[in-house]
Amino acid sequence: MWIERKVLAQEIPASAELDTRQLCEVLAALGFPVDGVATLEGTEALDVDITANRGDAMSHRGIARELAAKLQQPLAPIATGLVSEGAALVPVRLEAEACPIYATAVLALGEGVTPEVAQSFLRALEASPKRLPAVDASNELLLRYGHPTHAFDADAIRGAVAVRWAKAGETLVTLDGVTRTLMERDLLIADEAGPIALAGVMGGDRTKVTEATRRVLLESAWFEPKVVRATARRHSLHTDASHRFGRGADPAMARVARDLLVARLQAWCQAKLIGAWTAGAVPVPAAPVELEMALLARVAGEIVTLEAAQEALTRLGCAVTAAGDRLRVVSPTWRHDLAIAEDLAEEVLRLRGYEHLPSVLPPMEGPPEHLAPAYLLRQRVARRLAQLGFHQTVTYGFISPEADALFASADNPAAGRTLANPLGYEYSVLRASLLPSLKTTAEQNLRQGSRLVQLFELAPAYRSTPAGPLEQVALAAVWGGVLGGEDYLSPARAVLEADLAGLARDLELPGLPTIHRLADGLFGFEIELEALPRPQDRIIPVFRPFSRFPSVERDLSLLVDLGQSYAALHQAMSAALPAGSLLELRCVDVFRHKSLPEGQQAWLLRMRFQADRTLVGDEVDGWVAAALVAAESLGARLRA
Amino acid sequence: MDQLLPPEIVEAGQTFPAALAACGDLDALLRLKGAFVGREASHATRLMELLKTAPKEQKRELGAAINGLKQQWEEGLKARQAELEAAKRKLGALAATWDPALPPPQPPRGALHPLNRLMDRLVEVFRPMGFHVEEGPEVETEAHNFDGLNIPEDHPAKASSDTFYLAAHPELLLRTHTSPVQVRTLLRVAPDLAARGGIRFLAPGRVYRKDEIDPTHSPMFHQVEGMLVGHGIGMQHLKGTLEYALRALFGPDTEIRLRPSYFPFVEPGCEVDVSCPLCGARGCRVCKGSGWVEILGAGLIHPNVLAYAGIDPKEWSGWAFGMGVERMAMMLSQTPDLRLFFENDQRFLKAMGGLD
Ligand SMILES: [Zn+2]
Repeated sequence: MWIERKVLAQEIPASAELDTRQLCEVLAALGFPVDGVATLEGTEALDVDITANRGDAMSHRGIARELAAKLQQPLAPIATGLVSEGAALVPVRLEAEACPIYATAVLALGEGVTPEVAQSFLRALEASPKRLPAVDASNELLLRYGHPTHAFDADAIRGAVAVRWAKAGETLVTLDGVTRTLMERDLLIADEAGPIALAGVMGGDRTKVTEATRRVLLESAWFEPKVVRATARRHSLHTDASHRFGRGADPAMARVARDLLVARLQAWCQAKLIGAWTAGAVPVPAAPVELEMALLARVAGEIVTLEAAQEALTRLGCAVTAAGDRLRVVSPTWRHDLAIAEDLAEEVLRLRGYEHLPSVLPPMEGPPEHLAPAYLLRQRVARRLAQLGFHQTVTYGFISPEADALFASADNPAAGRTLANPLGYEYSVLRASLLPSLKTTAEQNLRQGSRLVQLFELAPAYRSTPAGPLEQVALAAVWGGVLGGEDYLSPARAVLEADLAGLARDLELPGLPTIHRLADGLFGFEIELEALPRPQDRIIPVFRPFSRFPSVERDLSLLVDLGQSYAALHQAMSAALPAGSLLELRCVDVFRHKSLPEGQQAWLLRMRFQADRTLVGDEVDGWVAAALVAAESLGARLRA
Repeated sequence: MDQLLPPEIVEAGQTFPAALAACGDLDALLRLKGAFVGREASHATRLMELLKTAPKEQKRELGAAINGLKQQWEEGLKARQAELEAAKRKLGALAATWDPALPPPQPPRGALHPLNRLMDRLVEVFRPMGFHVEEGPEVETEAHNFDGLNIPEDHPAKASSDTFYLAAHPELLLRTHTSPVQVRTLLRVAPDLAARGGIRFLAPGRVYRKDEIDPTHSPMFHQVEGMLVGHGIGMQHLKGTLEYALRALFGPDTEIRLRPSYFPFVEPGCEVDVSCPLCGARGCRVCKGSGWVEILGAGLIHPNVLAYAGIDPKEWSGWAFGMGVERMAMMLSQTPDLRLFFENDQRFLKAMGGLD
């Protein structure tokens, strides 16, 4: 909220002696960082960041109170006893516990407008003056003292006033002109003709103050924060008043704010007080909270004396009594956030300054835990892929239903993965697959002139189940564009499906994953991370003897049909070779050319043999001949 | 003297130096050698025949002349051969010379995503202090995301304007922070916390909030959560750990500053600033001249959070922190637009990500 320095100095004169930078530092050290400073109309306003638990600080008085405690300087006194109360002119009945106190007054308005000094204060705080003294005075009081008040047109009120729960179906036209249908959990102010205000949120249109208003009925009450928050939320009606009451106003300020409002109207527009009275009373403070010195020492990291703690809490307005090794602390009426001992410990440390905290490494109490295998696996895979030239992407977990449908299986309906309140249609489904996102990303990279695109992502993919979307970490990789051709030794060629198959082997996938053709020359696959082999438990595997005899290598060039299955040929030839001596059988070249018989291709098959002895040429020749016979049985011929 | 020799040989002898110089390679030189001093049908053999048939009184003088010529030719040929061979060797050597400036073939080079890299780095920094990694699902329950973290029932973050909910499962949401991993982990370890000697872990991960996409907002982003539970843990331990970790990240001269703040799941709560790593705390655009940059939120675990997990807050205490990975990455790299991290342009990834 905006805090104007001149008005702040009226609440705590010592603040005038600090320059802006010092003031900002003191505020930050108290937990109120300053987000910005505005200079206007010959003064400065600080944009002070106030956390949601500190409703009490959301005013000039509130900030001044904090500064006073920290700087140990006096606050300016608030004039009290300005108004003497009498009998109720209008009965005010408090019918709900959520409103324990309701101070009010009736005044006859005279001539006069909001003084310029108040108008400029309102403008400095980005609140536009309305030039209706009753309204402006209420706003000025709110910003200055943090207590919301309201002025009704007293002549528009019919009969007695009640603070009560709404009846279902009741309606109220609020000041903004909207007709609100109320619910039973809405707290409202009503007269005998019906609702006249949503308690602590907004007044009603029927009783609003206008230029024609002659007499006003003031409201300065206290409402339960929870109730105000709920009503504001239900009606999407977030006002300055609901903001303050919702974060906890000071019930003891109800009468004081009423008095201050009366005094302002008397001064600003010669208003005549007709009567003032209060229904209810300031609630009894909650039971004291105990602060053990041992707990304080634990939180603080060092001994803090009972006296020092008592002194700090007293400065903050608490009523503190010492009892042995502990303090009994009653919060001031404006603080609603001091519920447990830790809250009090924080206050002691906060006032002293966190810069005084010692710095200590926590001792180990048990053995450290290992990193989880699944985590290590992801790290390893990511690093391997990056080494192979792939770029790790991070894309949104939700995509459009159309994109999702590209790779979602039929048994994984999008309905179970759809968001109730997506950012937009194109971000509405938790993706079944990472491939749609990677496809889009790859195409974008290619469009922007990338010659080669290599991407991967490790992220959860979702599967609809009756219990909700099930997450499984997936690995997806896409690869497209042109390989090589960028130096004098590497020829250029297009990326092919085979490259993805090679990648799958490099990652030691147990089988060949489905390789999707995502676009012209762009391929990808996706697997569940679970499918990857886990890092071995052993640091190194068990020793297995290996032959030191040289291996023998033989090539066979075969003419085979274009439709020949390599797996079948490989299997047939392997079966014909001695398993104990065959190290490897692999196709090392595929040759397709018009010089070959039509419908045929040439495969160069390489065999490597090794045994625990020197292999003899004749013996190997015999094996190769047997492999050839096996190949011929499938229609292959030796290429001349 | 010359009148004793045949005129064509005299003429050849006169053109010899020019012919020798004209030999551009060893083959040409070999042919010239054959013509002048070869064993058959060369000028030299012709001269030897002439000497045999010459009158006796001329033999001596003629012999001397012939020898002179032959010697002149042979020496010329030998010298030229040496020259040509040297030139050839030089070319051969040049051909075998590798110019290291020629662009060589290069192994491919990819990159980890900068956000992942930063999270990995954080894990590395905390690892020596005994922290391991805990993870949890991105689709969470309200209980884990809010209730177990002492977040009041009517907290505005629960609103559908802030949090994504599942259409078919109104009780499920996309986690809004990595803190539900705290709840899950504490619930899991609570029964044998004493045997373990407390717990300390990091929880890096992706989180979701309903923010429109713009240069500083994204509906999906990353956080790293840290938590430690032990006996007698206080603010001094939070400060000590963060001081160690942030110095490991930003350099040994880094200072840290704790400021009071508020988060429902910690008490006391604080925000932590580091002395600006970009300007050495002298003041720059990034730290807005203050010399300090806000880096994370932290505090001592609220007793309600421990109690929710079944851990006795009278016996155990701990601290927790949470930091925004994007925010830190943007600050460190001065990347002007958050969207770059999710666009995944290879040029950006290569420049920002690196390999480790
Ligand atoms: Zn800086």
